Amino acid sequence: MTTLGQLILSGIFIGGIYALMSIGLTLIFGVLRIVNFAHGEFLMLGMYGAWAMTRGLGLDPYVAIIAVVPAMFLFGGLVYRLIVSPALDKPHLVVVFATMGLSILMQNIALMLMSADLFDIPPVFGHAVTVGPFYFKAELVLGFVITAVCTLVLQWALKSTYLGKAIRATVQDREAAMLMGIPVPRIFLITFAGGSALVGLAACVMMPLFSVFPTVGLNFVLIAFVIVVLGGMGSIEGALIGGICVGVVQSLSSYYVAPAFGQMFFFILFLLVMIFRPNGLLGQKGAADIGIID
Amino acid sequence: MRHWLKLFACILAAATFAPATGFAQAPIRIGVLLPLTGPFAKNGIENWEAMKIARDMINERGGINGRKIEYLEGDATSPSAAISETERLITKEGIKITTGSFASPLAIAVSQAAERHGVFHWETTGAAEIITRRGFKHTFQVGAPARKYGQAAVDFITEDLAKRLNRPVSDLRIAMLWENRAFGKSVGDGIRAYTGKKGIKLVYDEGYDQFATDMTPIVQKLKDSKPDILIAISFPNDAILFQRKAKELNFNVAAFIGVSAGYSSPDLRASIGSMVNGIFVADFPPKVNPNVLKPEVRKIADEFYKRYEKKMGRPPAGHATAGFSAIWALFTDVLPKAKTFEPDELRDIALKLDLPEGSLVNGSGIKFTNFDWPDNPKDAGQNLRASIGVWQWTKDGNEQVFPAKLATHEPIMVPLPSWDKR
Repeated sequence: MTTLGQLILSGIFIGGIYALMSIGLTLIFGVLRIVNFAHGEFLMLGMYGAWAMTRGLGLDPYVAIIAVVPAMFLFGGLVYRLIVSPALDKPHLVVVFATMGLSILMQNIALMLMSADLFDIPPVFGHAVTVGPFYFKAELVLGFVITAVCTLVLQWALKSTYLGKAIRATVQDREAAMLMGIPVPRIFLITFAGGSALVGLAACVMMPLFSVFPTVGLNFVLIAFVIVVLGGMGSIEGALIGGICVGVVQSLSSYYVAPAFGQMFFFILFLLVMIFRPNGLLGQKGAADIGIID
Repeated sequence: MRHWLKLFACILAAATFAPATGFAQAPIRIGVLLPLTGPFAKNGIENWEAMKIARDMINERGGINGRKIEYLEGDATSPSAAISETERLITKEGIKITTGSFASPLAIAVSQAAERHGVFHWETTGAAEIITRRGFKHTFQVGAPARKYGQAAVDFITEDLAKRLNRPVSDLRIAMLWENRAFGKSVGDGIRAYTGKKGIKLVYDEGYDQFATDMTPIVQKLKDSKPDILIAISFPNDAILFQRKAKELNFNVAAFIGVSAGYSSPDLRASIGSMVNGIFVADFPPKVNPNVLKPEVRKIADEFYKRYEKKMGRPPAGHATAGFSAIWALFTDVLPKAKTFEPDELRDIALKLDLPEGSLVNGSGIKFTNFDWPDNPKDAGQNLRASIGVWQWTKDGNEQVFPAKLATHEPIMVPLPSWDKR
């Protein structure tokens, strides 16, 4: 019983971390309806940023958020202007190849500048949190809390702020939104940059838990894609639920079946959801076309 | 000003006397294939530095029968790059001797290209058993083959740890965790076969994906199987994740043995700090007890360690010492006996070598197989006297602990203190 509890709780917490790194991807997908294949490399860049702030300036990785998130926002804006925006009117494959190319470029630049070495930061909290018979890394619990807060704030912002309403209007009907005076290209720019900033936030939360190296993105990007589709493409709370599902399924199947099959089982879950709920857990009909949900 | 005058005088003197000595004989040219860029570059460059030290040391001693050693390097980033770089050195530069190449996949590729051209390949560190099992005539693997890594770990348990833990081997609960790609699986298979032969049952034996992002289920399952000793074959990233998770979930063992790769990487300490202390590693010995070395080898070893530390700012890892040991043996035991330096002649010399253990800087001897090894008659060029052992991460470095005759130190922290006391 203790084991089962430990596995489920650990799965939920790590799932929260997976969700946090997927929210940016789902936001970009929901609004722009493009898939950013360089998402994992954005995460890698953010992690190197968090690492440099922690090791170089002696900051706490959670304080590094103040610098890494705006920097990633700017980086996202730059990538949008230079790579994504010119490809938006072209056939969908162009964006796929453009972001795929960016992913390979970023990996190799990182390899050149940082070498293949693993970089780490010392743990922020010395000890694990113990609740009854369960152990948790404090960084993991804090990461989950940040994810939950982030999801709530984003939901609220999309529903209640002017920018959020403009984003939703753009999602519902680009042309009508443009006719109503909403600057759609700028909304796209802000969304892409905002999605990148969220990856920056995820990177800071993940740095105390994982090592950073040029191909670290590959370890996580597949999980992020699964979560985005599982949760319902474009749905933010769907991403949170999708993340938790993946975390728990991976945790339980690795324990009860075999560690080598952890990934296999969340792909089985993924296939089942696709068969019975093709629009994802929280997605509405035609989510892939409609995008973000209100 | 006086300095400048002195320097000028020196240059003048050198210029005057150079023709008398410099053109004595053409250098011996050797192709060195190592990963100098790309994901293996870090270890490749360490190996390259060790090899350059060997070259400088032999050249300062007047070279080999008056001929200096000259290296031509090839950047073997990946197996395909390794093949094209080897081909380039052989066909464009006319190289007849190649060496290198740090990782097994690269060694397989380089030796393949060398054999195709009938070139003599002296493999320093590649470990895969297949390197010497393809019927090649000119490939010699000086470092230890893969199965010996696992055997060293098991022998260490049966011959040493059991006594220290005051338990009979049959009483010990031994677990094995392996990453499920080529390296981890082949070492794991080797250990399973070896423990089976010795009648030891593993209480846990599972593979995992080295890209796993969550180690909770693995650590939890291990915790439930209550092992006394854990043997783990991991790469750096998963080794770090595992150790952190073990601490988080308070999973303790009496002894932890990592096998090469992730657990021998000098970066492990940089990543997990003092958590590394007490971990055993079955691998090439970075430094062995000088008493097992022949007196003249001991001097060479001292000089190598001094030069390496001065150049790189830290003591050499096991693979760098292995690289130096192997190339030094080529310089002192193979090349001086050669007249034509043709691959067939070098092969005959290599096959006649019968060096006892302690002849190489890392404690190895040399005796190559030549389709005559009873365990595998298809094997040729494997060094049956390559040393491998177990070393331990200590508070401020690492010490060789097994086998006893190579040991520089007694094993410490046995049983391993629990996480709250480390």
